[in-house]
Amino acid sequence: MTHLSPGQVVDVAEGGADAVLASHARDCGACRAKVEAVAGALRLARSDPPPEPSPLFWPHLAARISSEVRREQARAPRWRAPVWRLAPIGAAAVVVVALGIGAWLRPAPPTRENPASDSFVETPAQAGDDSMADGEPADDPAWTLVSDLSAEVSVEDADASGALPPPGGAEKALADLNAAERGELTRILREEIAAWAPAAPQGPGA
Amino acid sequence: MSTRADAWPAGGIQPDWTLTVVPSTQDESGHDLPLSELDDRRLVEACLGGRIDAFDVIVERHQRAIYHLCFRFVRRHEDAADLTQEVFLRAYRGLRRFRGDATLATWLYRIGVNLCLNQVAARRVQETPIEEAPALRAAGFDPASQLMSAEAGARVRAAVARLPPKQRATLILRVYQDLSHREIAQTLGTTVGAVKANVFHALGNLKRLLAEEAIGKP
Repeated sequence: MTHLSPGQVVDVAEGGADAVLASHARDCGACRAKVEAVAGALRLARSDPPPEPSPLFWPHLAARISSEVRREQARAPRWRAPVWRLAPIGAAAVVVVALGIGAWLRPAPPTRENPASDSFVETPAQAGDDSMADGEPADDPAWTLVSDLSAEVSVEDADASGALPPPGGAEKALADLNAAERGELTRILREEIAAWAPAAPQGPGA
Repeated sequence: MSTRADAWPAGGIQPDWTLTVVPSTQDESGHDLPLSELDDRRLVEACLGGRIDAFDVIVERHQRAIYHLCFRFVRRHEDAADLTQEVFLRAYRGLRRFRGDATLATWLYRIGVNLCLNQVAARRVQETPIEEAPALRAAGFDPASQLMSAEAGARVRAAVARLPPKQRATLILRVYQDLSHREIAQTLGTTVGAVKANVFHALGNLKRLLAEEAIGKP
């Protein structure tokens, strides 16, 4: 049998080797010397006992860690704020925005002062109006699709179809949010408003 | 905790299902179990479900082992306490990444070893002169009943501190934390064979360092 590998020497020194290895370590002078050297160093290392602080230290340390963890939780409660809690508010916001856009882009009803306002025939006055110039959302096919779809939907229809959250659902979800979650919602809404602002069509009065 | 259909306001759309969000901390008869009776895996699940007090139980359960691990690396009570706190904070932040393929203790050890090695590498740990042993006793340590004198213990710790990082981590986990070779391999992300080889070389170096120190001692 060849000499023991370092791992086998450790196994024998720790008492975890099988009978064949242990027998070789007894019979082979070179391997026996290695095993005895490792076992001696192991005894030396193990003779240094673990530090044992005062018994009062452990509850103190646990309280200190607990306090830091709660501070951490208040700072970054990402996995404590399930996204589904924001879902009713998000759904309500999407429906309101869609309905608002639809109402905004819906052609104005005919009036005596403006009898051709429901006509698709461009008048010279409209041709000169640059509020719908190239690059405006109304020229965007996706925008037009959203507009067309939402123009036919009233709030009542949306409610009847179940697209709106249950009555009071958004308010309830909002009331359930903690300060950090409300802050996150504010940030999201501000980002959405900022994203919409440059592209939003000018209102009739603008 | 669960979201029940009857919890929705009247007139709203009511789902006909019940979604269980947090794993139950109840026994089979539906009684709430004290957190202290839950195993580590269920404590982690409870914590991820919002029971922050479950993390307190994790801390109480493992703080002693983590403190001892940190102390073996930095050899100063205050530093070990600070590092122990940092280990648990990092564990809390990364709790979602705990996959349960190793034990929670092994996972905490892994965080602790990485943190301690980085800490030791980043700054020169303040050496505790042997002459300060009485001060340690006054601070709450009582080595009087221990087999070795404080001086001999300090010499062993100083020699362990001079080992290369991987040998040092392996030796600490094996000798002082009493982890199996397999657990050490999981903790350090290596093989059982490499762990045994590191133990072998660490013990050889330890013996050599102690012998050199004894010869150099006036």
